[in-house]
Amino acid sequence: MTNNLSSATIWGVIVGMALLNYSVRFLPIAIVSRMDLPRPIMRWLSFIPISVMGALVASEVMRPGGQWSNPLTSPSVYAALVTAAVFKLTRSFLGATVAGMASFVVLQRVLPTLLG
Amino acid sequence: MACMPQSQVPSDIPIDPSRATARTRFWRGTELGSPIFLGYVPVGMAFGILARSLGFSTPEAVACSATALAGAGQFIALSVLSSGASVAAVLIATTIVNMRYVLFAATLSPYLRGVSIPKQAAVAFTLTDETFAVNIAEHRLGLSTPATMVGVGAIAWVGWVLGTFLGALGADWIGDPSRFGVGFAMPAMFTALFIALAEDWRHVVTGLLAGILVLALPVLTSLGVAISSSWFLVTASTLAATVATVVWHDE
Repeated sequence: MTNNLSSATIWGVIVGMALLNYSVRFLPIAIVSRMDLPRPIMRWLSFIPISVMGALVASEVMRPGGQWSNPLTSPSVYAALVTAAVFKLTRSFLGATVAGMASFVVLQRVLPTLLG
Repeated sequence: MACMPQSQVPSDIPIDPSRATARTRFWRGTELGSPIFLGYVPVGMAFGILARSLGFSTPEAVACSATALAGAGQFIALSVLSSGASVAAVLIATTIVNMRYVLFAATLSPYLRGVSIPKQAAVAFTLTDETFAVNIAEHRLGLSTPATMVGVGAIAWVGWVLGTFLGALGADWIGDPSRFGVGFAMPAMFTALFIALAEDWRHVVTGLLAGILVLALPVLTSLGVAISSSWFLVTASTLAATVATVVWHDE
């Protein structure tokens, strides 16, 4: 890894990211909350959250770090199933997240030996 | 006057009930956001450690997390920076990844009608994948208020900044944070949130479609279709939502 980033580069990134990030978050809220949206657009927006989560889960679990993983031997896949089951049973985000992380650590060690 | 006991409450200052409730709602938000806090601390630590290894000082790493509050966006910024790219290239890459916040913000805005600009600004500042999903899930129960949303955001922000600080500070002796399962904190949170957001079978089908699309896009790219990987998420989710809107338009 490089260790020679200048202070100007680092602060340019920090300030630029802060401004751009805040714009994409705040402007739609400020503008859209003052408009009457047509029904089809409201319907479309109602499907956005589940779509984003579906896409996030699929890419994080099947392509961790942008690389395809073998779903049969991947600890992510099994850990996601554990997470889903714990959430289904307990309805606790915290419990499900901790169970997911713990099972991931265990599966990472155990799966390679189990599956040869 | 001089001998008035210290403990006596002046009776001419009424207790404002609306203020008291807003405070209660804020604290309810921090409670709802506590799993986000616990998820963000370890991932924030990972960011702090990585930022230090690239030459960020501890105050710089903390300033970045405190002002950007963009998990994936910040990690991408680091990886683009480490490849020697210019500031402009880093900003373009992170902004593309963060374009999903436009969708989140637009989705939340019907709930923020008639809310003052400062409160909207506070909700916007802490809008992330996790705070969004928790706020939407809470809304479906009819319990969320702007004060609750600010509370959810506040606790998430504290977790992210605290994690970054601890990671940057302890970078030299913590070492590789992946042995604590940190790498799976975000995927686990997303998995739980997916189930929480799935209201009925239409939602489940739409979410699965988005998942299939997001995995199909890299295949298409390898066949020569030009879509940058940072657009996969936004493309897949808007496509799936569009299909759902068209298919179930009359209900």
